[in-house]
Amino acid sequence: MYLILLSIFFPIFAGVCLFIKRENAGRRNLLITVGVCLTLTGLLVVSALFTAYGVDFTLFHLTRSLPICFKIDAVSVVFAAMTMIIFLCAGFFSFEYMKHETKEKRYYGYYLIVFGVLNGLCFAGNLITFYLFFEILTLSSMPLVLHNGSREAIMAGLKYLFYSLCGAYAALFGLYFIYHYGDSLTFTAGGVLNSASAAGHTGLLLIAAFVMILGFSVKAGMFPMHAWLPTAHPVAPAPASAVLSAVIVKAGILAVVRLVYYIFGASFLRGTWVQTAWLTLALITVFMGSMLAYREKVLKKRLAYSTVSQLSYILFGLALMDADSVTGSLLHVLAHGFIKSTLFLCAGAIIYTTGKTRVDELRGIGKEMPLTMWCYTIVSLGLIGIPPTGGFISKWYLASGSLKSAIPVFSWLGPVILLVSALLTAGYLLPLTIQGFFPGADYDYEHFRKQEPSRLMTIPLLILTILSVLIGLFPTPLIDSLTGIISAIL
Amino acid sequence: MDFIRNFPCISIMLCLFAGIISSGLRGRTARWINIALLLIVTFLSACTLFYTLSTGESFVYVMGKFPAPWGNEIRAGVLEAGMALFFCIIMLLSLLGGQHKLVKEVEENKVFLYYVLTNLLLSSLLALVYTNDMFTAYVFVEINTISACGLIMIRQVGRTIEAAVRYMIMSLLGSGLLLLGLCMLYDLTGHLLMSNMKESIAAIVAQGEYNIPLIVSIALMTVGLCIKSALFPFHAWLPDAYGYSTVSSAAILSSLVSKGYIFLLIKIIYRVIGFDIFINTRIIDVLFVFGLMGMIFGSLSAIWENDIRRMIAYSSVAQIGYIYMGFGMGTQYGMVASVFHMLSHAATKSLLFIAAIGLTDVSGGSRKFIELTGSAYRNKWAGVTFTVGSLSMVGIPLFSGFISKLLFAQAAVQINGKMLPALIVLGVSTILNAIYFMKTVIRIYTPVEATAYPSVTFKDMKLYAVVLVLFIVLNIILGINSQPIVDMIEQGLAMFA
Amino acid sequence: MIILVILLPLIAGILVPLLPFKKRSHWEIFLECAVVLNSILVWYLLLHHSDSAFVLAHFTGNLNISFRVDGMSMVFAGLVSALWPFATLYAFEYMTKEEHEKIFFLFYTMTYGVTLGIALAANLLTMYFFYELLTLVTVPLVMHTLTREAILASRKYLYYSLGGAAFAFLGLIMIIVYGSTNNFIFGGVLDPAKIGDKTNILLLIYVIAFMGFGVKAAVCPFNSWLPQAGVAPTPVTALLHAVAVVKSGAFAIIRLTYYSFGTDFLQGTWAQTTVMIIVMFTIVYGCSRAVKETHLKRRLAYSTISNLSYILFGAVIMTPLGLAGALSHLVIHAVMKISSFFCAGAIIHQTGKNYVHELDGMGYKMPCIFGVFTISAFALMGVPGLAGFISKWNLASAAVESGNTIAYFGIACLLVSALLTAIYMLSIVVRAFFPGKDFDYSALDGVKDPNWKMLVPLFVFTFFIILFGVYSQPLMDFLYDVAAGLY
Repeated sequence: MYLILLSIFFPIFAGVCLFIKRENAGRRNLLITVGVCLTLTGLLVVSALFTAYGVDFTLFHLTRSLPICFKIDAVSVVFAAMTMIIFLCAGFFSFEYMKHETKEKRYYGYYLIVFGVLNGLCFAGNLITFYLFFEILTLSSMPLVLHNGSREAIMAGLKYLFYSLCGAYAALFGLYFIYHYGDSLTFTAGGVLNSASAAGHTGLLLIAAFVMILGFSVKAGMFPMHAWLPTAHPVAPAPASAVLSAVIVKAGILAVVRLVYYIFGASFLRGTWVQTAWLTLALITVFMGSMLAYREKVLKKRLAYSTVSQLSYILFGLALMDADSVTGSLLHVLAHGFIKSTLFLCAGAIIYTTGKTRVDELRGIGKEMPLTMWCYTIVSLGLIGIPPTGGFISKWYLASGSLKSAIPVFSWLGPVILLVSALLTAGYLLPLTIQGFFPGADYDYEHFRKQEPSRLMTIPLLILTILSVLIGLFPTPLIDSLTGIISAIL
Repeated sequence: MDFIRNFPCISIMLCLFAGIISSGLRGRTARWINIALLLIVTFLSACTLFYTLSTGESFVYVMGKFPAPWGNEIRAGVLEAGMALFFCIIMLLSLLGGQHKLVKEVEENKVFLYYVLTNLLLSSLLALVYTNDMFTAYVFVEINTISACGLIMIRQVGRTIEAAVRYMIMSLLGSGLLLLGLCMLYDLTGHLLMSNMKESIAAIVAQGEYNIPLIVSIALMTVGLCIKSALFPFHAWLPDAYGYSTVSSAAILSSLVSKGYIFLLIKIIYRVIGFDIFINTRIIDVLFVFGLMGMIFGSLSAIWENDIRRMIAYSSVAQIGYIYMGFGMGTQYGMVASVFHMLSHAATKSLLFIAAIGLTDVSGGSRKFIELTGSAYRNKWAGVTFTVGSLSMVGIPLFSGFISKLLFAQAAVQINGKMLPALIVLGVSTILNAIYFMKTVIRIYTPVEATAYPSVTFKDMKLYAVVLVLFIVLNIILGINSQPIVDMIEQGLAMFA
Repeated sequence: MIILVILLPLIAGILVPLLPFKKRSHWEIFLECAVVLNSILVWYLLLHHSDSAFVLAHFTGNLNISFRVDGMSMVFAGLVSALWPFATLYAFEYMTKEEHEKIFFLFYTMTYGVTLGIALAANLLTMYFFYELLTLVTVPLVMHTLTREAILASRKYLYYSLGGAAFAFLGLIMIIVYGSTNNFIFGGVLDPAKIGDKTNILLLIYVIAFMGFGVKAAVCPFNSWLPQAGVAPTPVTALLHAVAVVKSGAFAIIRLTYYSFGTDFLQGTWAQTTVMIIVMFTIVYGCSRAVKETHLKRRLAYSTISNLSYILFGAVIMTPLGLAGALSHLVIHAVMKISSFFCAGAIIHQTGKNYVHELDGMGYKMPCIFGVFTISAFALMGVPGLAGFISKWNLASAAVESGNTIAYFGIACLLVSALLTAIYMLSIVVRAFFPGKDFDYSALDGVKDPNWKMLVPLFVFTFFIILFGVYSQPLMDFLYDVAAGLY
């Protein structure tokens, strides 16, 4: 119990302390402090996951019927572990990267706070606790977006803030109804709706469910509320983009998982218009995100559009409400998390060393930064879904789940769109590899020089790349544990 | 105690004699006689009031030896005595409060005339209040008109003469209509004493004959009195008459003279025609509509006005509208409310006129709002009093205006068809009142930096300040202790029937 | 005792300019002592109240001026008396830069007594009386600076308030005529035997009276006086135009709805629908205007307009839960808004800046002020863990529980408004803390946090924002009891 609380509040506390600390302490001291804090938090999370699994406790009551409570279940483990790994990697990466940015203290402060808040999200035991951390997440991650202080960044930060709040409030709308028609707000596999009091109000509750799904999906960049994502992610410093795009958006996914499977219950939504509408929106987003990414020239923006598309893979899988598809979704959460953070960190490394942001400026980059580009290429293949990487397994499950589900039209339309999108993914990710390694005959070798970034950058990259491959190579233990979750909730 | 029955007659006679005597005296002496007279009449009226209250019924005093239906009679009940008492008090206060202006504005050798006129005016008011004879009433209406004209004209400035002429023409038109109506009624009934007329009219109505002549005569008399009491749209003479005459005259005219006519109308309604018959004529609907319009348009004109005296004068138009609205409701409650409002308006309006003069005096005599800025700091007593009057007009609880508003609204709620228009106009007119009175209050309390005008203190105007305090006290008494007064009005109206 | 707590501030206020104080600090101490003493008395009174009414004076017939302590009075009087000493303390510091302080404090303190009069009134007539009085004693406060703008604003305030009262008066008349009494009795006093076929007219008058009292509570379309009245010194805008005066309007409407007309009579009628729609419109309208407004205090005033309608929204749901929601927002909004207004005042006091776009980068120069401001902004948005969330939660769950379809849309309005709140509050916060990379901090040299007299009230309010956010149970239990008519 204390480990859970510590893993949430220690980083938040540490972050707040960073603000209060005096300005002139020196960069080295700052980095040591942050490094220690990050590692400690990581250790806390790990030990919490191992020792406190299944612990369920109430911290206090907001009002009599609104307890703030925490719980670690299988879903928490998946998300918390991913968060922890990516945060540590990106954190160490930023030690090097942030050299060319200003106001590092503020950056690390918010970075730590967001880390703690995300842990809180993963460990939240009921919807109200979840909502609490969800709002704080928005508020505390906004400074990461507008970090560099340009006008564009500030506007992007505000856009992010208002879209997210809009989503949060839409979710809150449904929350009020669940509170009234449900037994409690505690996450319970199979849902909490009270069939007696909900009888006769199905229509209302379906509307509430739809609004909530839409609301939470704002964070996951689902059409039609996706516009903030391509604006906000690229302007942040690269490591921040990495956590934004790989982890923070997953808060939206986590929210939808909790909502659909632990609050409403799949049986309540299956076969309703809500499911149909949701599937439609998810598929539109998958396709649209890929198309937009394909057209985009700026590397980080391209990656951001790719995130839009990939997250809707996950949402699509969740919306199918089929055992296989949900397995696929959860796998894709992990796979996409590792892959996308690697991609962003690669982009960050490129920007850090060369200062170039557009794809067409990066010819021959593979010669200059081979290690970075190898990582990039490997995870790109993973995102496209080429075996034996993680992406392949997850997409396989998604597609097979879709075909197995008896939903008319979507059962075959889904895989088709997934496939098309995979092609597009190849189309927008691989050109960089090709141009990077094969710059063509007219490439100017005179100015060529090897400029691999420092180890502080490459090691996190390597770790993440390896992890993404490992998921693909040895998925069985993961899938087994996921099956456990899924059998409980479906 | 029966000699008290002589008091009404005595007070009328005293007034007449005082008028005659004053005409041969100098101004100062005339003034003392006038004050003494007012005090005596106040005392006599008070006695009459207590007498009627203690006996619980009205009495008839036969003038001369001729019995009804030939002789002339005076009738006194609670309402009559109370009204007489109230009129005396207001008149006394108005005269005292406007005293210092009177000295300045009226030529030295004409001051005694002023008191002659006020004595005559009082006698005619008392006669209107007490008389039981329609012809006597008519005669005193004319006396009233003439003395009122004199009161306006005595300050000899161009505008007052014009105003007085205008007033004269309108008033005579009114009396003419009254006379016509009276003739027709006499023709129908063959009587001039109110009680006898009422019996005959009841008989005529019971037989269902002479319907149209009856209605015409009622209409003529009502319109005549409406003109004289400046009901909208017959109010054109009013702003000038009240706005430019010397302040005591304005106070007396606005609070007493018009009330005298209204009181006569009440008497005609109750004592001559009979309340139920009057209601059945539907004239009340016309009164109701004009009353409502008066409330709105009077206030609107007041808002547009840029002269404080004329603004108060226009406000009178609105307040008269209230009274006629109460008539127009055609219920006992409406009547009670109207009568109470007569009292409350008389007390408040004279207060406002007197207070306003204090403010204009410390602003170089200018009545334009722009000059009045900050005047309440220069004359604190007048400022406070004016504020009290304004609040009363707006209908803030504690002051008399609130009670009238309360009574009107309560009366309005109890009739079906007229409820909503009455309530809504009541609300709107309150807002309009608030606009122009509060605008003035804010204006007089807005400090100005350096000002050329001197300040006055209590020492400079002892009498004036005392009068102001008395006015405030009167207003607050009406506002807080209204229940006995309302009871008295109800009792008095019951005695009429 | 009851009459004492009303009179004490009136007398203390009048004494300030009359007594020969030698130094400024002397009358400051005198006034603060009087206010604190009065607050203590009020709390004592609320905790040891008796059920019988104290009749001060008879008006006409069965109309009298009388006072009584019941649940609603406890909430409002308790709230007002808790805030007043702090606001006075703050005002001492703030007013050092203004003129005619003594006159200001005269009316400022008198307002305290009058507001308590509204809170403790035992019947509609008494409340109406103090309601009118409140308008009159607060006008000089709005007019205080005596600029042309201030005079226009105070005129507008006066006309609107008196006009509103004129229509609220009609409601009073209805209760006097059709009610069995005009005392406040939970559940209403209308006498069914007297109503007969006049139901519709009564409903119409209810709507009119609602709008009449609603003028003070700044219901659209009668809200334009409130932003204009922001020309008054900040202690006035903060305490009166965010708490005492405007909440009196809301309080009066609750009295009218729950204690005079009665919810049984009103529930489910077209009157309820009408007022609910008006209130919902105001919620969104106020927020949208706040987003457009660039003057800091006016922006907060528009925010107040919207938040007042939250309270009214709870009230017009016309269930005990709705009333509880309304009351909780009444209390909590008071704390939040006074806190944000005081921050605005502190900014004006320290820097003279009035507009939002002038606040760039100040967050680092005045960390306490902007820290407090940020917390109050979050609370107003309804971030969980802060007080605003609790009251919005109560309002929304009452709306859900009522089963009224229009109320469901009301929830949507609440949330839209929450989003707009985020926009107009956070844009200030973001400006203050993230002025952009080219910002020149030297322009803000010499700007610093104000002294303790201003900070102490702010910290206390912030403490309560957080306290009510995380531990609101005792307060809510009490409010639920009040809303159930237990007191």
